[in-house]
Amino acid sequence: MQQFIAQTLNGLTLAGIIFLVSSGFTLVFGVMRVTNLSHGAVYLLGGYIGYSVITATHNFFYGLAAGAIAMGALGLLLERTLITWLGGSEMSELLATLGLIYVLDDISLAIWGGSPLTINLPGILGQSTTLPLSGVVYPNTRIFILGVSIVVAAGLSYLLRRTRVGAIIRAGVDDREMVSALGINVRLVFSLVFTLGAALAGFAGVLGGTVLGVYTGGDSDILLFALAVVIIGGLGSFEGAIVGSLIIGLIENYGTAYFQAVAYSILFIPVIVILLVKPEGLLGKVNR
Amino acid sequence: MTAGASRDAGRRASGTTRQGASQRASGTAHREGGQEFSGEVAVSPAGPGLPPGRGARLALTVLRGSRRFTAPVAGVAAAVLLVLLLQGNGFTSTLVLDMLVYAIAAMALDFLGGYAGLISLGQAGLLGVSAYGVAIAEVHFFSPWAAVGIGMSAVLALGLVLGIVAVRTKGVSFVIITLAMGQVLWGLAFQWVGLSEGDNGIPLAVLPAIGPFDLNDPLTLRMTVLAVFVAVALLLVTFVHAPFGLSLRGVRSNETRLAALGYRTGLHRYLAWVIAVFFTGVAGVLYIFVNQLISPATMAFSEDGLLVIMVVLGGLGSIWGPVLGAAVIVGFQQELSIYVTRWQTLMGLTLIAVVLFSPGGLWGVVRAAGRRRDALIARLEGKRGAP
Repeated sequence: MQQFIAQTLNGLTLAGIIFLVSSGFTLVFGVMRVTNLSHGAVYLLGGYIGYSVITATHNFFYGLAAGAIAMGALGLLLERTLITWLGGSEMSELLATLGLIYVLDDISLAIWGGSPLTINLPGILGQSTTLPLSGVVYPNTRIFILGVSIVVAAGLSYLLRRTRVGAIIRAGVDDREMVSALGINVRLVFSLVFTLGAALAGFAGVLGGTVLGVYTGGDSDILLFALAVVIIGGLGSFEGAIVGSLIIGLIENYGTAYFQAVAYSILFIPVIVILLVKPEGLLGKVNR
Repeated sequence: MTAGASRDAGRRASGTTRQGASQRASGTAHREGGQEFSGEVAVSPAGPGLPPGRGARLALTVLRGSRRFTAPVAGVAAAVLLVLLLQGNGFTSTLVLDMLVYAIAAMALDFLGGYAGLISLGQAGLLGVSAYGVAIAEVHFFSPWAAVGIGMSAVLALGLVLGIVAVRTKGVSFVIITLAMGQVLWGLAFQWVGLSEGDNGIPLAVLPAIGPFDLNDPLTLRMTVLAVFVAVALLLVTFVHAPFGLSLRGVRSNETRLAALGYRTGLHRYLAWVIAVFFTGVAGVLYIFVNQLISPATMAFSEDGLLVIMVVLGGLGSIWGPVLGAAVIVGFQQELSIYVTRWQTLMGLTLIAVVLFSPGGLWGVVRAAGRRRDALIARLEGKRGAP
């Protein structure tokens, strides 16, 4: 029982990291119709940058900020150059970001090498706590990650539901043409969303580096989680990203714990089921 | 071959009609030349103003000859070159062999992506399935021929099932779904150690043989791979020019209209998928014959991406282009990686550049040259026809 509780918590932690990555991916897709396949590579690069900054400054939070800011800047740069140049052709954008994966991964490999790195949390966050009632001893790092993801989710939800910018973003998901016809500067919204998405990925990279590690190939792992999430939750749906992340995070973790041989593959059972039963995703609006 | 011949005949026929309406034809050619018709200036000596002299007539003969003979001569030259390159036991023949195997997979993907509009990011996974099928069957004491049958049956059965889900979608969703499928297959190869030996992969000891035809002999194997490559290429070219290929392109460009005309568009996509999976399976069987080892690395996400890069770099929707793409990428991987440490960056940037500046890929460049030549012919014919 104790083990099951620990595994459930592990699954929730993983769900938190996956949520940070997939929410950016799904917002970018929802508003801009850009399938950014390099989203996982941005996550990984953010993790590496965070690692270096933490090593240099001995402060985890500087690393977290550096990962998010650096990747946000990269996102802004990409949106202003590559994505703009491609002029809205969905397949071209997908292919160009596919090329970008090889570039970003190769740069990461050149700078940080091929051996896996781990980010350690400082002080009390690096220790463990005995949870009340169950008596499970659980690492604070994971509790911290879970808390941060919930805070970010709440913040994003507030941004999307309660602010003017959020209203524009939601409107953009529903009807992009109408938004620009109303005289709203869609270009600015695009830049904002893409930057936000990349910053979230970089942030998640540093956060995820603590429990998952920062390693070559980590980008395609997390990209696959994010893709599974958006298929389940619905491309472009923020709430769908939350639900999808929980499903994928928990299944992945139970799978790894109890069905080692097929852990990675059973992840996709819900994906297939959703595709057959409800192809637009649980909470999806975007017409495929 | 028949398709190529009939196309030539068609071209010749259109050439003769064009002589009558030469002025109009040359006008069209101008417009077709489009934005990058920079050859215009160089061409101008034969352009308006000059009398149709002997030079123009000579140029016309040369150009017409080139129109008629370039394709067959290039084909024969390539075949001879390949046969010669595959003679030795050294690095070159191994490299060419790898190129051919990946060219088959790339052509299959191009058939799916370029003609049905379904770009799959899971093809390396399917290639791995037939390769693993062969290897696992041999581990369980099946004869080499039976192992080939099992490998192909496995990938075909899987393709038939996966296709039901996959072709319900198209465009970006199809890419994502095939990517997910490819990763499931990779995950099984990586984690299901009892079946797949995990990260170490499975070696293949004995290749099929029948009578004097023994694939364990390196030269026989190399020539067989070449023969299969040629056969697959000709089959796919035939498919593309057959009515099925044409309606497939119709489904890609305007599905609603084709559906309204009574075509079963979903079935078209499904068939295209199954054909592509079949030939990817063929590539997988050849892959394990050539490499005698299959491991999860062959099915990794980066390999799925490489196949797509081969197709896009070579030219989506051209069958032959992806062959060039496969040659370039495999060459990059095995040759350039020795000299250029950051070849992956170079490759990624190349793909981005192709997407940005030359969506037709390498084959698009070849085609543009052909169009320019045809435009030139039309203009010269126009000059001669004029009084």
